Amino acid sequence: MTNELDPQKIAQLLTQGAHQMDAGTVSALVNARQNALKRHFERVSISTLTQASGHSPVRWMDRLISRSAQPWIAAGLLVAVLIAGTSYWQTIQEQQIDDTDLAILTDELPIDVFVD
Amino acid sequence: MRISSIGLFLVLCIFSTIACAGSLSWRALTPEQRIALAPLDQQWDTLPEKQRERLLETAKHYSHMTHEQKERYHKRLVKWSKLTPEQREAARQKYRAFNNLPPNEREKVKKMIKEEQLKKTQQSASGVPATPLSAQP
Repeated sequence: MTNELDPQKIAQLLTQGAHQMDAGTVSALVNARQNALKRHFERVSISTLTQASGHSPVRWMDRLISRSAQPWIAAGLLVAVLIAGTSYWQTIQEQQIDDTDLAILTDELPIDVFVD
Repeated sequence: MRISSIGLFLVLCIFSTIACAGSLSWRALTPEQRIALAPLDQQWDTLPEKQRERLLETAKHYSHMTHEQKERYHKRLVKWSKLTPEQREAARQKYRAFNNLPPNEREKVKKMIKEEQLKKTQQSASGVPATPLSAQP
Protein backbone atom coordinates (compact mmCIF):
# COMPACT_ATOMS: atom_id res chain seq x y z
CA MET A 1 0.00 0.00 0.00
CA THR A 2 1.38 3.32 -0.97
CA ASN A 3 0.97 6.37 1.27
CA GLU A 4 1.76 8.93 -1.42
CA LEU A 5 -0.22 12.16 -1.03
CA ASP A 6 -1.84 13.56 -4.12
CA PRO A 7 -1.58 17.43 -3.86
CA GLN A 8 -4.72 17.91 -5.94
CA LYS A 9 -6.68 15.58 -3.69
CA ILE A 10 -5.43 17.40 -0.61
CA ALA A 11 -6.45 20.76 -2.09
CA GLN A 12 -9.90 19.37 -2.88
CA LEU A 13 -10.28 18.06 0.65
CA LEU A 14 -9.21 21.41 2.12
CA THR A 15 -11.66 23.32 -0.09
CA GLN A 16 -14.47 20.97 0.94
CA GLY A 17 -13.47 21.38 4.58
CA ALA A 18 -13.38 25.17 4.25
CA HIS A 19 -16.91 25.19 2.84
CA GLN A 20 -18.12 23.10 5.75
CA MET A 21 -16.66 25.43 8.43
CA ASP A 22 -19.07 27.48 10.53
CA ALA A 23 -19.27 31.30 10.03
CA GLY A 24 -17.59 32.11 13.40
CA THR A 25 -14.49 30.09 12.56
CA VAL A 26 -14.28 31.67 9.08
CA SER A 27 -14.49 35.24 10.44
CA ALA A 28 -11.89 34.43 13.15
CA LEU A 29 -9.55 33.11 10.46
CA VAL A 30 -10.12 36.19 8.25
CA ASN A 31 -9.36 38.50 11.19
CA ALA A 32 -6.21 36.61 12.09
CA ARG A 33 -5.01 36.79 8.48
CA GLN A 34 -5.66 40.53 8.28
CA ASN A 35 -3.83 41.16 11.58
CA ALA A 36 -0.88 39.13 10.41
CA LEU A 37 -0.69 41.04 7.13
CA LYS A 38 -0.95 44.37 8.96
CA ARG A 39 1.92 43.48 11.30
CA HIS A 40 3.98 42.29 8.37
CA PHE A 41 3.62 45.59 6.46
CA GLU A 42 4.42 47.64 9.58
CA ARG A 43 7.61 45.65 10.12
CA VAL A 44 8.62 46.09 6.47
CA SER A 45 8.14 49.90 6.50
CA ILE A 46 10.08 50.37 9.78
CA SER A 47 12.92 48.16 8.64
CA THR A 48 13.14 50.13 5.37
CA LEU A 49 13.50 53.42 7.28
CA THR A 50 16.04 51.89 9.65
CA GLN A 51 18.10 50.60 6.77
CA ALA A 52 18.10 54.03 5.12
CA SER A 53 19.37 55.97 8.16
CA GLY A 54 21.29 53.29 9.98
CA HIS A 55 19.14 53.87 13.11
CA SER A 56 15.47 54.15 13.89
CA PRO A 57 14.54 57.73 12.82
CA VAL A 58 12.25 58.22 15.81
CA ARG A 59 14.95 57.21 18.32
CA TRP A 60 17.58 59.29 16.50
CA MET A 61 15.33 62.37 16.72
CA ASP A 62 14.52 61.68 20.38
CA ARG A 63 18.22 61.42 21.22
CA LEU A 64 18.96 64.81 19.60
CA ILE A 65 15.92 66.81 20.74
CA SER A 66 13.62 66.15 23.67
CA ARG A 67 10.08 65.14 22.72
CA SER A 68 8.52 68.19 24.37
CA ALA A 69 10.73 70.56 22.33
CA GLN A 70 10.06 68.89 18.98
CA PRO A 71 6.74 70.67 18.18
CA TRP A 72 8.30 74.05 19.07
CA ILE A 73 11.28 73.39 16.86
CA ALA A 74 8.98 72.32 14.02
CA ALA A 75 6.93 75.51 14.49
CA GLY A 76 10.13 77.60 14.59
CA LEU A 77 11.36 76.01 11.37
CA LEU A 78 8.02 76.69 9.70
CA VAL A 79 8.15 80.37 10.78
CA ALA A 80 11.75 80.64 9.56
CA VAL A 81 10.78 79.20 6.17
CA LEU A 82 7.85 81.65 5.94
CA ILE A 83 10.08 84.63 6.84
CA ALA A 84 12.74 83.55 4.34
CA GLY A 85 10.10 83.12 1.63
CA THR A 86 8.55 86.53 2.31
CA SER A 87 11.93 88.23 2.37
CA TYR A 88 12.92 86.56 -0.92
CA TRP A 89 9.63 87.65 -2.52
CA GLN A 90 10.15 91.22 -1.26
CA THR A 91 13.70 91.30 -2.65
CA ILE A 92 12.39 90.24 -6.06
CA GLN A 93 9.68 92.93 -5.92
CA GLU A 94 12.22 95.62 -4.93
CA GLN A 95 14.53 94.53 -7.74
CA GLN A 96 11.69 94.82 -10.25
CA ILE A 97 10.87 98.35 -9.04
CA ASP A 98 14.53 99.40 -9.27
CA ASP A 99 14.80 97.99 -12.79
CA THR A 100 11.65 99.82 -13.89
CA ASP A 101 12.89 103.10 -12.35
CA LEU A 102 16.18 102.77 -14.19
CA ALA A 103 14.37 102.02 -17.45
CA ILE A 104 12.09 105.06 -17.08
CA LEU A 105 15.06 107.29 -16.29
CA THR A 106 17.11 106.13 -19.27
CA ASP A 107 14.59 105.01 -21.92
CA GLU A 108 14.54 106.80 -25.25
CA LEU A 109 10.86 107.61 -24.69
CA PRO A 110 10.42 110.86 -22.73
CA ILE A 111 9.51 110.59 -19.07
CA ASP A 112 6.35 112.69 -19.67
CA VAL A 113 4.82 109.75 -21.55
CA PHE A 114 4.68 107.77 -18.31
CA VAL A 115 4.12 110.64 -15.88
CA ASP A 116 0.74 112.40 -15.78
CA MET B 1 21.32 90.91 33.97
CA ARG B 2 18.57 90.14 31.49
CA ILE B 3 17.21 93.73 31.58
CA SER B 4 20.68 95.18 30.99
CA SER B 5 21.18 92.84 28.01
CA ILE B 6 17.87 93.94 26.48
CA GLY B 7 18.84 97.57 27.08
CA LEU B 8 22.20 97.07 25.39
CA PHE B 9 20.49 95.38 22.43
CA LEU B 10 18.04 98.29 22.04
CA VAL B 11 20.85 100.87 22.21
CA LEU B 12 22.77 98.96 19.54
CA CYS B 13 19.63 98.83 17.36
CA ILE B 14 19.15 102.60 17.67
CA PHE B 15 22.81 103.29 16.86
CA SER B 16 22.77 100.99 13.85
CA THR B 17 19.60 102.71 12.55
CA ILE B 18 21.24 106.13 12.93
CA ALA B 19 24.40 104.83 11.26
CA CYS B 20 22.39 103.44 8.31
CA ALA B 21 20.50 106.72 7.87
CA GLY B 22 23.77 108.64 8.07
CA SER B 23 25.35 106.49 5.38
CA LEU B 24 22.72 107.75 2.92
CA SER B 25 23.59 111.43 3.41
CA TRP B 26 25.15 113.30 0.45
CA ARG B 27 28.46 113.66 2.26
CA ALA B 28 28.64 109.93 2.88
CA LEU B 29 28.17 109.02 -0.81
CA THR B 30 31.11 107.73 -2.84
CA PRO B 31 32.52 109.99 -5.61
CA GLU B 32 30.93 107.68 -8.23
CA GLN B 33 27.53 107.95 -6.57
CA ARG B 34 27.85 111.75 -6.38
CA ILE B 35 28.70 111.97 -10.08
CA ALA B 36 25.71 109.79 -10.97
CA LEU B 37 23.33 111.72 -8.73
CA ALA B 38 24.89 115.17 -9.28
CA PRO B 39 21.63 116.93 -10.29
CA LEU B 40 20.22 116.06 -6.87
CA ASP B 41 23.09 117.41 -4.76
CA GLN B 42 20.98 120.23 -3.28
CA GLN B 43 17.89 118.25 -2.35
CA TRP B 44 19.45 114.81 -1.71
CA ASP B 45 19.47 115.10 2.08
CA THR B 46 15.82 116.18 2.10
CA LEU B 47 14.59 113.17 0.10
CA PRO B 48 12.89 110.32 1.97
CA GLU B 49 15.21 107.47 2.86
CA LYS B 50 13.37 104.89 0.74
CA GLN B 51 13.62 107.17 -2.29
CA ARG B 52 17.34 107.66 -1.72
CA GLU B 53 17.81 103.89 -1.52
CA ARG B 54 16.01 103.42 -4.83
CA LEU B 55 17.99 106.19 -6.52
CA LEU B 56 21.23 104.69 -5.25
CA GLU B 57 20.20 101.38 -6.81
CA THR B 58 19.70 103.06 -10.19
CA ALA B 59 22.97 105.00 -9.77
CA LYS B 60 24.86 101.69 -9.58
CA HIS B 61 24.32 101.32 -13.34
CA TYR B 62 25.50 104.85 -14.24
CA SER B 63 29.05 103.85 -15.17
CA HIS B 64 27.73 101.27 -17.66
CA MET B 65 25.34 103.68 -19.41
CA THR B 66 25.92 105.13 -22.87
CA HIS B 67 26.52 108.87 -23.20
CA GLU B 68 22.88 109.43 -24.25
CA GLN B 69 21.54 107.37 -21.38
CA LYS B 70 23.68 109.34 -18.90
CA GLU B 71 22.32 112.59 -20.30
CA ARG B 72 18.72 111.38 -20.07
CA TYR B 73 19.30 110.03 -16.58
CA HIS B 74 20.66 113.37 -15.35
CA LYS B 75 17.90 115.37 -17.05
CA ARG B 76 15.14 113.22 -15.57
CA LEU B 77 16.48 112.77 -12.03
CA VAL B 78 15.15 116.07 -10.66
CA LYS B 79 11.68 115.65 -12.18
CA TRP B 80 11.53 112.03 -11.01
CA SER B 81 12.55 112.89 -7.47
CA LYS B 82 9.89 115.62 -7.26
CA LEU B 83 7.05 113.20 -8.06
CA THR B 84 4.91 111.79 -5.27
CA PRO B 85 5.27 108.04 -4.51
CA GLU B 86 1.83 107.52 -6.10
CA GLN B 87 2.87 109.31 -9.30
CA ARG B 88 6.04 107.25 -9.49
CA GLU B 89 4.05 104.03 -8.99
CA ALA B 90 1.60 105.09 -11.72
CA ALA B 91 4.53 105.78 -14.04
CA ARG B 92 5.99 102.34 -13.30
CA GLN B 93 2.67 100.69 -14.10
CA LYS B 94 2.42 102.63 -17.39
CA TYR B 95 5.97 101.67 -18.29
CA ARG B 96 5.29 97.99 -17.55
CA ALA B 97 2.07 98.11 -19.59
CA PHE B 98 3.99 99.69 -22.48
CA ASN B 99 6.71 97.06 -22.17
CA ASN B 100 4.13 94.26 -22.26
CA LEU B 101 2.82 95.39 -25.66
CA PRO B 102 3.75 93.25 -28.67
CA PRO B 103 6.93 94.60 -30.36
CA ASN B 104 5.07 95.97 -33.42
CA GLU B 105 2.55 97.81 -31.21
CA ARG B 106 5.39 99.23 -29.14
CA GLU B 107 7.09 100.51 -32.26
CA LYS B 108 3.82 102.16 -33.39
CA VAL B 109 3.50 103.96 -30.04
CA LYS B 110 7.14 105.06 -30.17
CA LYS B 111 6.65 106.39 -33.68
CA MET B 112 3.51 108.30 -32.66
CA ILE B 113 5.27 109.86 -29.67
CA LYS B 114 8.27 110.86 -31.75
CA GLU B 115 6.02 112.44 -34.37
CA GLU B 116 4.15 114.34 -31.69
CA GLN B 117 7.40 115.55 -30.16
CA LEU B 118 8.65 116.71 -33.55
CA LYS B 119 5.38 118.55 -34.17
CA LYS B 120 5.63 120.23 -30.78
CA THR B 121 9.19 121.32 -31.44
CA GLN B 122 8.23 122.74 -34.85
CA GLN B 123 5.16 124.50 -33.42
CA SER B 124 7.05 126.02 -30.52
CA ALA B 125 9.66 127.24 -32.98
CA SER B 126 6.97 128.88 -35.16
CA GLY B 127 5.03 130.23 -32.13
CA VAL B 128 1.79 128.22 -32.77
CA PRO B 129 0.45 126.38 -29.65
CA ALA B 130 0.75 122.58 -29.82
CA THR B 131 -2.38 120.38 -30.18
CA PRO B 132 -2.42 117.42 -27.79
CA LEU B 133 -2.29 113.97 -29.42
CA SER B 134 -5.53 112.90 -27.73
CA ALA B 135 -7.41 115.87 -29.27
CA GLN B 136 -6.42 114.81 -32.79
CA PRO B 137 -8.99 112.97 -34.95
